[in-house]
Amino acid sequence: MTTCEDSQLVARVVSTQDTDAFGELIRRHQSHVRNFLRKLTGDFTTADDLAQDCFIHAWDKLLTFSGRGSFIGWLLKIAYTTFLQSKRKSKRYGEILDQVGHANEVNDRSYTVESDEVGDLDRFLAVLTDEERAIMVMSYACGLSHREIGESMAMPVGTVKSVIFRGKEKIRTSFDIKDHQHG
Amino acid sequence: MTSKIINMAERIKDEQDRLLESMFESAPIADNGFSTQIVRRIRRKLWIRRITLPAAAILGGLIAFQPVVGFLKSIFQLLSSLPVEVVPSLESSLPSLQLIVTGALILFVLMFSLSMLED
Repeated sequence: MTTCEDSQLVARVVSTQDTDAFGELIRRHQSHVRNFLRKLTGDFTTADDLAQDCFIHAWDKLLTFSGRGSFIGWLLKIAYTTFLQSKRKSKRYGEILDQVGHANEVNDRSYTVESDEVGDLDRFLAVLTDEERAIMVMSYACGLSHREIGESMAMPVGTVKSVIFRGKEKIRTSFDIKDHQHG
Repeated sequence: MTSKIINMAERIKDEQDRLLESMFESAPIADNGFSTQIVRRIRRKLWIRRITLPAAAILGGLIAFQPVVGFLKSIFQLLSSLPVEVVPSLESSLPSLQLIVTGALILFVLMFSLSMLED
């Protein structure tokens, strides 16, 4: 099974609900999905929980995978949607808690990285919007091409390029990075 | 050809691209039972989905059995109260209560077996 293409495994899952084939797909892509979500959330535990939800959603929606783009691109799209949904839920939960006066609990659940121990990358990512962060991570951490990112995020390749450019500009201006050097 | 040009254009990276790539670079995350855990969750979900319909049918059957029997009994009582010249012809055309219950049970067992075979 380890030598099978992703598309062959997907076909097997769709036709016979083969959980072992889906397990192989998870083993192949879990690292990228977890890494993507860890960089989006800035929190390992939350990211791994979201990654689990992402794969469960992927199982439910596998019939919608057309096979035109890459499987990892499709998975990252689901991961990003799962992340946004979770963030929305968390925000709603925060608002409810706020109304009953539990502001401290809300702060504990925040997604922003504010610790002193965070690395450069976390600080760089903090200046970006969710969409910019997702696209930058897909491009630089997961190695997806602009076309694959476009398919995942349902946007034209030109828009992907301009989002990446904008993200880089934000990082450059926010951290005063001079041309061709990290300062 | 066009895709090759796009790929080449994507490969032309400036210093900041290389810096970002090195910063984003991270060691692959070890599975450590992550995939097994999800597969187990999916199998549990599938099992629950498979068992829900038959369980609901059995429960519904148990709940509905007494009222249905009562209803059928009252129909037969109603039939027995009809004039004698009408009843013999009706009785011969209607199946008996035992036959209805047996038929329903056979139908249920067949449907259940078919769904199991399909799974």
